[in-house]
Amino acid sequence: MNRAVLQVLLAGVAAVALGAAPPAGEEHFFEVRARKFEYEPHVLRVNRGDRVRIRLLSEDVAHGLYVDGYDLNVVANPGEDGSLTFTADRTGRFIFRCSVTCGEFHPYMIGHLKVEPNTPFFTYAALLLVLGAGILAITAVRRRREA
Amino acid sequence: MKQRETIALGLMALATVGTLAAIFGYERYRRATQFDVVLIARAPEYGNWDPRTITVPRGQPVRLHIRNIDTVSHGFGLPAFDVAVREIEAGTATTTTFTPDRAGEFLFLCTVWCSERHLEMTGKLVVQ
Amino acid sequence: MSESSPTQEQAAAPEPAKEKERLFGLLDLDARFDLTRFRLIRALLKSRWMPLALILFNTFMFMIILVATLLGGFSAGNYNFGIMLVWILWWVLLMFVLVPVFARAWCLMCPFPIFSDWFQRRRLINIGEEPKKPWGLNRRWPKWLKNMWLMNVLFLVTTFFSGFLTVRPFATFVLLGSVILAAFIVGLVYEKRSFCLYLCPVSGFQGLYSQFAAAEIRRKDDAICKAHKKKTCFIGNEQGHGCPWLLMPFKFEKNTYCGMCLECFKTCPHDNMAFNLRPFGADLLVDTKLESKGLDEAWKAFIMLGIAVVFYLGFQGPWGFMKDMIRGTTLPGFLSYIAFHTVFCLAVIPGVFLAFCWLSKLASGNREVPLKKVFTGFAYTLIPLGLGVWVAFSFGIILPNGSYLLHIASDPFSWGWNLFGTANFPWTPVLTGYLPHLQGIAMLLFYLFSVDYGTKLARRIYPEPAQAKRGFVPILAALTAVTFLFLWLYMG
Repeated sequence: MNRAVLQVLLAGVAAVALGAAPPAGEEHFFEVRARKFEYEPHVLRVNRGDRVRIRLLSEDVAHGLYVDGYDLNVVANPGEDGSLTFTADRTGRFIFRCSVTCGEFHPYMIGHLKVEPNTPFFTYAALLLVLGAGILAITAVRRRREA
Repeated sequence: MKQRETIALGLMALATVGTLAAIFGYERYRRATQFDVVLIARAPEYGNWDPRTITVPRGQPVRLHIRNIDTVSHGFGLPAFDVAVREIEAGTATTTTFTPDRAGEFLFLCTVWCSERHLEMTGKLVVQ
Repeated sequence: MSESSPTQEQAAAPEPAKEKERLFGLLDLDARFDLTRFRLIRALLKSRWMPLALILFNTFMFMIILVATLLGGFSAGNYNFGIMLVWILWWVLLMFVLVPVFARAWCLMCPFPIFSDWFQRRRLINIGEEPKKPWGLNRRWPKWLKNMWLMNVLFLVTTFFSGFLTVRPFATFVLLGSVILAAFIVGLVYEKRSFCLYLCPVSGFQGLYSQFAAAEIRRKDDAICKAHKKKTCFIGNEQGHGCPWLLMPFKFEKNTYCGMCLECFKTCPHDNMAFNLRPFGADLLVDTKLESKGLDEAWKAFIMLGIAVVFYLGFQGPWGFMKDMIRGTTLPGFLSYIAFHTVFCLAVIPGVFLAFCWLSKLASGNREVPLKKVFTGFAYTLIPLGLGVWVAFSFGIILPNGSYLLHIASDPFSWGWNLFGTANFPWTPVLTGYLPHLQGIAMLLFYLFSVDYGTKLARRIYPEPAQAKRGFVPILAALTAVTFLFLWLYMG
């Protein structure tokens, strides 16, 4: 029975990892307004393979936007927008963060780029459940043996 | 054994008083030998340029040391003598040298949009 | 404490013979590797220059930090030597290496109590002549405060101000200054390292998580200690001071309150002290009369988890309004943050955990075992997991911000120095694209430790193996849920 559980879970992982093929290359345009110390919108959701265009506007002082994992950076001054275009080819949730010291909370100025499907998260979550189920199974088996 | 205690005390003194003396001594030496003017940059609401008026003699090179102790970037512009430091990042310092060849009063200003009151971030250079 | 305590030594109740316990069913939990078998290490541990040399070095470092945080004023911390060294380098080193591997290794080299030590002992390194009556009032710490509660409160209160401490140099200056001053003043009134033991805000979690550490200081041979009637490790001799952390090195079993000051290596005439490497987490199972499991430590574990959640939401999350609350843009906002933070850490997390413990008792079918025993016992499963949460959190601090260290090393006071030629090194995030993976791996790894120790703790809580197994299931669910929650926070 435990093996069956395991198989189901592994199948789930595989399904997520290989993924229902994403609808190829939609284009997303985001107008991101930056101010001390947040981005609006602060979560950008796209699908794998989408074309992402970001226009960065600053509402107070110079801000930047650096995207983790894509290693892209753009800077905006008040009245001087920045723009960024890229293809979201890596899935997962990536932090984008301010890259110009803009005030005392600058290191905490953060936004999220979500490239669906969030394979890393599903993988680790599935692994966790597999581990948990495995441990439960071992416990159950051991009990039977000891009883 | 007595000696060991003395060495330890010496190291303790070195770590505390010695460190302080080294830090401030070195900085003092630097300022005395390397710069003529030290200028602090802050947005107007946090103190503005300090000092706001700089007085220098005519015809001699001025080594201007600008320290940005603010939380945002600033720039330094002195149009009369074609001096421009594009960006001084928060927490950094930069040195620029120029020679004022005319006497008079000249405006210097911040060149990075640093706050709502950015336009007030100006100072005066007096060349005698 | 006087000389009377060691004489109270009672033979520990002999444990019933049991099969060897193994970490993950592989590594014998009693396995030890004594580093003093190497002559150089032994000599080092016995030298009076250890740990003084390290303390002096850190005194030097903290002088620079104090000057930098004082001169840095109330501005941005990411270019300040003090902020970067304390909150980026020190904190991350604590969570990555010092605590999980070397237990209270930081306490070994911490410079803050040096002034009170010096005052009490009247010597910096030597032991001094007889009579060795220490200076200061030398009072005993009140018995009812000999636990973690005060540190729990002080640490929680310190975190209220993390929106200032981690970004404003002057706030860090005030914090460090108060800790140094408090350490000295407490040293004037109370004996030895009372401050470190029961007050220092960062002492509590180091003590708690040290139980997980892969290192320990212990006696080598019980028989030698028993035969040695004059407990020099406790009362001191001409080679060293009696345990400054008020432990009894000849019998203690748990890292929690061992500050690793190495005095017992010097005072033991039989070279009977060992610096052991051991399997991770060995202390989590210790529950003796002298060093019993307690609610104070349980709450410390809850607080550490709660702080991680709140810090994540506030500092590493994308929500601006929370940042405004934490950095105190408005007083009501700041107060509601404090209220939420406090209730969440002190009540919500323990409450949820209590519910799972109640389920555990129900599932076990054992009605005799007190719920408090179940609750306290299983709370220790949160220690590896909590450490994992903080390791994961620390990746999120060091990877994006580590490059600032190059700048501040060269220009510690923002005066335009360039000591090592790295003053103009630009901000460079390192491997931040792999942040979710590193965090995921850390969570899963420490989850396994938690679960493994959970099964072992269950066997200690419930008398029957079958009860233990049934009773463990709800705890397994709780640990899995907590891990899932953090996976979701970090990468979902």
